[in-house]
Amino acid sequence: MTTWIDTSCILVVFLALSILATYRITGMIHIFVVQSFVLSFVPFFLHADALTGRDVMLVLATLVLKAIVAPYILFWAIRHMSMRSEVKPFIGFGTSIICGTFLIAGAFWVASSLKLPGKLISDLVIPCSLSTVLLGFMIIVTRTKAITQVLGYLVMENGIFLFALSLFDAMPTLIEMGILLDIFVAVFIMAIVVNHINEEFEHAPASLRRTKMGETL
Amino acid sequence: MVLLFSPFFLGVITRVKAFFGGRVGPSVFQPYFDLAKLFQKKCVYSHTTTWIFRAAPIVVFASVLAVSLMIPFGAFKAPVRFSGDIFLVAYLFGLARFFMIVAALDTGSSFEGMGASREAFFSCLSELTIFMNFVTLVLVAHQISLSGMIGAEIPLSWKLMGPTLLLVVSSFFIVILAENCRIPVDDPSTHLELTMIHEVMILDHSGVDLAYMLYGAAAKLFLFGGILVPILLPIHTGHGLMDTLIFVVGMLGIAIFIGLVESGMARLRLNRVTNLLLIAFALAFFGFIVRLWRG
Amino acid sequence: MLSVLILIPFVCGLVVFLPMERRLRVRILCAVSLVHAMIVASFWKVNPPSEINGFLMLDAIGLIVLSIVSFLFLSVSVYMVGYFHHEQRRTRTFVACLLLLLSTMTLVSVSRHMGLLWVAIEATTLFSAPLISFHRNPESLEATWKYLLVCSVGIALALLGTFFLAIAAHDVHTLLLPVLLSGAKMLSVNWLKLSVIFLLVGYGCKMGLAPMHSWKPEAYGQAPGMIAALMSGALTQCSFLALIRVSQICAKTGLSEFYASILIVTGALSLVAPAIFILGEGNIKRAFAYSSVEHMGILVLGLGLGPVGIFGAFFHMINNAVAKVAAFLAAGSLAQKYGSSRATEVKGVIHLYPVTGVLLIAGFLAGTGMFPFATFHSELMILNAAVLSGHYLLALVYLGGILVMFIGVLRIVLEMALGKPTQPVLPAKENFLMNAAIAVAMIISLGLGLWMPDILTKVLNDAVALVRI
Repeated sequence: MTTWIDTSCILVVFLALSILATYRITGMIHIFVVQSFVLSFVPFFLHADALTGRDVMLVLATLVLKAIVAPYILFWAIRHMSMRSEVKPFIGFGTSIICGTFLIAGAFWVASSLKLPGKLISDLVIPCSLSTVLLGFMIIVTRTKAITQVLGYLVMENGIFLFALSLFDAMPTLIEMGILLDIFVAVFIMAIVVNHINEEFEHAPASLRRTKMGETL
Repeated sequence: MVLLFSPFFLGVITRVKAFFGGRVGPSVFQPYFDLAKLFQKKCVYSHTTTWIFRAAPIVVFASVLAVSLMIPFGAFKAPVRFSGDIFLVAYLFGLARFFMIVAALDTGSSFEGMGASREAFFSCLSELTIFMNFVTLVLVAHQISLSGMIGAEIPLSWKLMGPTLLLVVSSFFIVILAENCRIPVDDPSTHLELTMIHEVMILDHSGVDLAYMLYGAAAKLFLFGGILVPILLPIHTGHGLMDTLIFVVGMLGIAIFIGLVESGMARLRLNRVTNLLLIAFALAFFGFIVRLWRG
Repeated sequence: MLSVLILIPFVCGLVVFLPMERRLRVRILCAVSLVHAMIVASFWKVNPPSEINGFLMLDAIGLIVLSIVSFLFLSVSVYMVGYFHHEQRRTRTFVACLLLLLSTMTLVSVSRHMGLLWVAIEATTLFSAPLISFHRNPESLEATWKYLLVCSVGIALALLGTFFLAIAAHDVHTLLLPVLLSGAKMLSVNWLKLSVIFLLVGYGCKMGLAPMHSWKPEAYGQAPGMIAALMSGALTQCSFLALIRVSQICAKTGLSEFYASILIVTGALSLVAPAIFILGEGNIKRAFAYSSVEHMGILVLGLGLGPVGIFGAFFHMINNAVAKVAAFLAAGSLAQKYGSSRATEVKGVIHLYPVTGVLLIAGFLAGTGMFPFATFHSELMILNAAVLSGHYLLALVYLGGILVMFIGVLRIVLEMALGKPTQPVLPAKENFLMNAAIAVAMIISLGLGLWMPDILTKVLNDAVALVRI
């Protein structure tokens, strides 16, 4: 099963990197769906020998919230948007890929000095989750559209989620579900705000559109 | 071996593309006929060209052939192998490319000059990626010869270094597409588009020269496939015939897969090709990091 | 009792989604806040038992935060009755979010599990975001977005920090605070250090410490006055509570030196950064926002400066919240009357609205820590702590920051209060309830400045004892 976990971890990081290199917002959301999909099956691989009802519940909750509901909400938020690609990122796409690789290297370097007290099935989980968090952070910082920033936030959350899987027993299920629910509500509210921003921006007369506001969109 | 099979490889790709385009397509042996036709023709040279232009096709073809001596195919061991031959492989490909670019510049055509500059730019990135991949493979196999790298150790490495090899393979595949001017990067089937790279450079070659160029390109594609297949299908039965069969099946698989990619994707805009190559590099680098992490 | 206290506002928050008369919703909010305040007041007499396997429990620190939250909601809801007398806006989402916010803030102050604490604090972020965009114009939406994004990312880092803490507590197998504290010897120090840094950055983001304060002037400047008051007085204290919990853990594991040094650096930064920005500011609410950043710096500094400082910080929590209520509510009334809070447009308040004008000046004095208001005393205590522990340079920076802030805000307030009215505005009648809410806060701040009740001293001492080594 280690191979499967390794592969999932690497896929998650690679998909985060490809979100960084994607132009179209719909394309980004699709990649995010794949990433969440891969991620939600990690608990299966982690506990392949002794599956509990709790694992199944977690997998289902993740799958439904992250791979179905969250992307659906995001698509809803951009349904009226005319500009569907990221126009002016602060850093070019090529540069961001290079920076992304360096971030991954940095994450591995940091992770090399962190040793877990307990035993871990795959040693790739921690560096990969750190890399994903950093890549998500980079998407938030370098992209200018609100919807892309939400995606960056979600990627970051995916990274944290991957990390959380490695310490499965420390958190009560209730808290875990609370965390998932919070993230879901966060996406929901962010999408509503994005929607309001779009409406407000498209209805505002041109003279009122401040450049700063345009950038936030 | 290489000379025999490489046009067939190209033919398979074309056939797959045709199948997904809803056509019957030419026979898989069509590239052979094309080459045969070209070899019977005479060359036409422009007045502005020098000896470089005439030498280029031979050099390209010769260096690709030299590379083919260092790559094992199925049960056939590579005739030439020594520690460090990966550098020779990379530089022979570099030599071929250099002569192709110089010849394109030699014609003095602005069209070909443009193609040459693009080729030079993209190959900068793809060569970096190739070397990154080679370094990772060397670290995985602890051998600095191509035969050793993609040879017997691989099945064992898949168990230990699965993720690394996966990254190397996917990165290498993108490089194959880029180096051999397949679709997301370049369109091999057009000659008169302003966005193409490879085809525009050989626009002034004709007759036997063109045949050498095309043959060289086909062989190069075949060679890259030949490096990739042993990594992907690390099965050694010990039986010569079986091994060769597996190799051939693998090559066919790659040809079909390239055909699939070409039918499924549109050519990328030129400025996005850089990103694709950078992703390939990122993959290679990532593989390298994972190798170091596990090591 | 604790779960009832959380559930009442939660259920009412769902109830107000039903169609009903606009002002009835505000009355419901008022009633819920009153009940909440009464229950909390009873906790000062009798400490409620712990609930749900010890996940919910009220200690002295939680009691302080809970009282602040409850008092702020009470005065804000009274103020809102007056506010919506003039305002013709829909109140459904607004009041519902306020009630849910009250519920989650209560959960923050009584939760004893670090994971639950995170869930609750993230929930407060989510429910407070829609409140900022009350005026639904591009500027307020931009402010909401900035707030939502910066705080969510910060909180996500805090989540990572919580997970690091869980790894550090691998041998304890739980994140329940009492168990963590009693088993402090078994925590792994390296992971704990990492977790402390992430938690500080994460919750510090939510609290608005420099350099993560960029959302604050935007959000407070665009939000209606009562929301700014709630956020600066109560919401930031909730995140500060999380930092206090971290401090408790650090004290038990011998990391208090390490934690204190980070706190002091962050605190000093939060004193210097807003002092630079305040000088070019012309908007009263934004100016108070910078002042709020400064006060967060003071709190964090107090937490890092040993027992005297910790006592000062707890006292300052209460004083700052009360003072901020007065300041932001006064600014909010003016914003409603003039339709702006820029000093160039709002002038001559004292001539047109004498009571509000006087309250604005009083709120400003309390907010910047002038004698005889209680903020003066708590700021003095923290200065004292800095000098006692030998941080003379820090004391100098501290005084300088407060002085610059005072001058910066003074400039704006004087222009607003005493300048000549520029255009002939029809003086709307001042609302009694709005002014009463501000006045009560002022009186409390003044009262605490002159006389400290015994029971408060006792609770503050109990709270300090929980954090000390």
